[in-house]
Amino acid sequence: MLSSKIEETSKEFSKDILSVKNAEELEKLRIKYLSRNGILPALFDEFKSVPKEEKPAAGKALNLLRNEITQKYNELKDKLSAESKRSSSKVDLTLPGKKYPVGSKHILTQTLDEIKSIFKGMGFSVFEGPELESDYYNFEALNFPPDHPARDMQDTYFVSDDFLLRTHTSPVQIRIMEKMKPPVRAIMPGRVYRNEAISARSYCMFHQVEGLYVDTDVTFAELKGTLVSFAHQFYGKELKYRFRPSFFPFTEPSAEMDITCFICEGKGCKICKDSGWLEILGCGMVDPNVFDSVNYDSEKFTGYAFGMGIERIAMLKYGITDIRIFFDNDFRFLKQF
Amino acid sequence: MKVSLNWLKDYVNLDGISTAEIVSRLTMSGLEVEDVIDQNEIYKDFIVGYVEEKNKHPNADRLSVCKVSNGKESFQVICGAPNVDAGQKVVFAPIGAVIPAGSFQIKKAKIRGIESYGMICAEDELKLSDDHTGIIVLDDKLEAGTPITDALGLNDVIIDIAITPNRPDALSHLGVARDLAALFDKEFKKPEISIDESGEDVKKIASIEIDDTVNCPRYSSRVVTGVSVKESPEWLKQRLVNIGLRPINNVVDITNFVMYECGQPIHAFDLDRLSGKKIIVKSTNGNTNFVTLDSKERELLPGTLMICDAEKDVAIAGVMGGENSEIYDDTKNILIESAYFNPSSIRKTAKYLQLSTDASYRFERGTDPDNTMFAANRVAQLIAEIAGGKVAKGSIDVYPNRIDEIKLTLRISRVNKLLGYDVSKPDAVNILQKLGMAVDESSDDNLLVTVPTFRPDIEREVDLIEEIARISGYDNIPSIPKISITLETKIDETSFTDKVRETANALGLFEMINNPLQSEELAMLTGSAIKLANPQSMDMAFLRTSLLTGALNAVARNLNKGEKNLALFEIGNVFYFNEGKSKISGFDDYSEKQHLVILLTGKKIDREWYAPVEHYDFYDLKGIIKSFLSKFSLDNFLNDSYYVKSNTIYEYYSRKIFNDAVIGEGGKVNKDVLNKFDIEQDVFCFEFDVDSLKNIPEPERMFAETLKFPKIVRDFAFIFDNSIANESVESYIKMKSSKLLKSVRLFDLFESKELGTDKKSMAYQLEYFDENRTLTEDEVEKDFKNLIKLVSKEFNAQLRGN
Repeated sequence: MLSSKIEETSKEFSKDILSVKNAEELEKLRIKYLSRNGILPALFDEFKSVPKEEKPAAGKALNLLRNEITQKYNELKDKLSAESKRSSSKVDLTLPGKKYPVGSKHILTQTLDEIKSIFKGMGFSVFEGPELESDYYNFEALNFPPDHPARDMQDTYFVSDDFLLRTHTSPVQIRIMEKMKPPVRAIMPGRVYRNEAISARSYCMFHQVEGLYVDTDVTFAELKGTLVSFAHQFYGKELKYRFRPSFFPFTEPSAEMDITCFICEGKGCKICKDSGWLEILGCGMVDPNVFDSVNYDSEKFTGYAFGMGIERIAMLKYGITDIRIFFDNDFRFLKQF
Repeated sequence: MKVSLNWLKDYVNLDGISTAEIVSRLTMSGLEVEDVIDQNEIYKDFIVGYVEEKNKHPNADRLSVCKVSNGKESFQVICGAPNVDAGQKVVFAPIGAVIPAGSFQIKKAKIRGIESYGMICAEDELKLSDDHTGIIVLDDKLEAGTPITDALGLNDVIIDIAITPNRPDALSHLGVARDLAALFDKEFKKPEISIDESGEDVKKIASIEIDDTVNCPRYSSRVVTGVSVKESPEWLKQRLVNIGLRPINNVVDITNFVMYECGQPIHAFDLDRLSGKKIIVKSTNGNTNFVTLDSKERELLPGTLMICDAEKDVAIAGVMGGENSEIYDDTKNILIESAYFNPSSIRKTAKYLQLSTDASYRFERGTDPDNTMFAANRVAQLIAEIAGGKVAKGSIDVYPNRIDEIKLTLRISRVNKLLGYDVSKPDAVNILQKLGMAVDESSDDNLLVTVPTFRPDIEREVDLIEEIARISGYDNIPSIPKISITLETKIDETSFTDKVRETANALGLFEMINNPLQSEELAMLTGSAIKLANPQSMDMAFLRTSLLTGALNAVARNLNKGEKNLALFEIGNVFYFNEGKSKISGFDDYSEKQHLVILLTGKKIDREWYAPVEHYDFYDLKGIIKSFLSKFSLDNFLNDSYYVKSNTIYEYYSRKIFNDAVIGEGGKVNKDVLNKFDIEQDVFCFEFDVDSLKNIPEPERMFAETLKFPKIVRDFAFIFDNSIANESVESYIKMKSSKLLKSVRLFDLFESKELGTDKKSMAYQLEYFDENRTLTEDEVEKDFKNLIKLVSKEFNAQLRGN
């Protein structure tokens, strides 16, 4: 009984509220539903005599109805009073402007955009590749032999014996060299995964930008020039840099590029682990074994490759100390950038 | 790996070179220094203290109030260690000392109401080890006030180097010293070994046999008899402690010392516990269990390389010895194992057992097969010197599978081609020789280089070029400030998604990036999800099949923080099994697609002075999708279909269809789904397959003549049955009107009592024009009247007072 009345009231109210055009009509609406002698209090009276076992369901429905009616009534009241305010008050130019929301790209996307634009200016194309990869593209073609300790450098998520979530963007190098002949000059941004415990410093996924340039006379000196130019454009003209030998299976010689820590200006701090230097990317000359796996003549062609982590760059640039905040998607964080 | 500078100096003269210079050159040659501990510097304020008194702290059960003397005066010190006691000699940090772990300075402090003037230290606080079970208790004989650097011999510089996997040779002091010799152009000295072979003929005491010669190409051995196992001498303990190892007994310490000296892992067997005094190296056939010397029983893979005696297994080759043959305090006779094992065999075993030891770490990276005899001799020499005993006459060296040095040709011109700078021939020769390579420089441009077996990473010409670059320094390679631009067509595969993001931003949406790893429940909600073989946790064990679930997770987190009004989007990849597949063995077994999700929830307009509160609804979503698609000129290319009944995700929803294929779907998310996320407010979501969207050929865009002639606008409103859909009215009008009608638009919609139950009023604006002429009122009126008649009849609708 009561439940059907509640439903009818809801329908009737929805209809009535549509025809309310001014304050007077609004008041009539209030009297009809919400006043002491209105429909709603009457229903609550009736609720008292509902059998005990039906009370929970009926009570819930009744509360919903009351909420619906009061909410819609209040919204309409606001609307009508706003309209009347506008027509009556004098011009007050200091009122806040009306809101026109404009969204924003994630800070990692913005960081990538900046990197992309610098390399596109230097004549690089942009390619993408899949995140779910085969062992062949992620490791073997990149000169990581099976059962080689170099594989331990990257903790890998597997989905089967031969398929995995790529641990770096380097497999895209293989994919594009398989498709085209030199000259190849491209950057390859994308998401990569590492099976590492989640903490302030590491997450199960992050983003990289890979770079590759292959042609007949590409040298290490040119690699240095290109990356120094990138660093100057991205971090500023004054910074000092250094290249130090390192090891990646797919480049030989391999290097890591450091720039002076811009937080302590090279004096040594927590961020640079007291070294005064920040490691920003890995790079090197493409290993001949990689050329062999894509049937490039390694006598004729030389090339360089590099890779950098976007989270790390954004964390340094914007002073973010916990990587997890990128993927929490707190609206207040998203709106900051 | 930690190396000791004092130790390194045994093999290379570094006089007059500062620690800073050594550290910098190491880092800049590829042996990256991660930490430097100059003991003289960091321990300069620490002294031997004598605990004169120990009393309970009146306000804390676990604390003691001690009186510590520095030999001249006494200090009140609060100590929390359980093992502190009166009469002990301890490491005392007076006020002003800086504790190495954490770099904090000792100040006068009040601890639970009692003043403390210093600290009694544990090993971890001094960075001597990770031990924090109690304070260090020193030798009684030490005098209070003695500097700790003297008392403990802490006058070394410890350098912690990150060794890359390609440099097994550098996992030893000799290896690092060899690089230093090359870097500073100094002489490299290997220790000289002289052994007094005063024992019996080794062949009479022991024998060695290799069954699996592929995985064990060489096994060298020496035997020492009559040793006494005891504590090591101070100098030996000191060397090990300084690089972070714990001294055990003289025999074990010597094997560790030699491993860290020359990189060759050594195993010492108690010869008397080897049945038949015999070693057999062979691989297991079936399933075997074995108890290692840490007293754990381990299950081995078939094909695991084992060291056996005449009856039983005694060690997992290259990984860990067995409990049944380890050295005891009463061991007298020792068989020294110094072997070369196949790296990939050891790696397989260590990986399978999840057991990484100092030995397996080196073997799997590749030890030096030419070094086994040197190491065995070195151990024998040191055991005889330190533990007494007699070295048996002769050695056993079984080497069935010779590993030869390789010879490479290096073209000096190729160095320039790859690096972009000229290295002189003498410089190249000097560097390679200093690194232990033999160089034949008789030909003009070419060097013929013999690569020693301790450098398994050098296999090709390019590897030699790296060595030259590394030792001469990357700084010497110029940085060319220009590049040649090749003129092939430039491609940007991200340009479409860039435009998607920009359009979404213009529509007021904020970009999220969510974790693609999800729980089974969420991932399975929207597709046939792929499971990770080795997940971190069950919450992150599956790959997402849609972006919706991750987005709802983000909404839930925001709601918890009080952020209730959200307009979000995300572009990302989703993954699912292709039809009929449940395992991935090829690229055809699954799909990886790029998706876009748009999500609205909460209030579109919160309380504002100029407008009433307005909540997001389906029509906001629909409008955003339309505007979004119009930016790609696709809004008129796709068909819509609408569903008012619930599916597994949505309470009601619509789809975007191209050529019969659904490329997007979305609507109001249903309560069952929202309940999984504890979301109690309405959520509107639309998800597109971006790959499909990208593949729709972009419609050609042509200029349309702008209007030169005036348009004529007419309105009408009808009362319809509630069941009549707007779309059917709109399309009917379009179908029945003359060609002059260019647009139809619903502009008013309402229900009221006056209209009657189940009735609604819908009002339309009609726009007429012709590109080539001015229309007459008559012709428009004619069509308009005709439409009124037709609409009234078709929909049984009643025209409202015009």
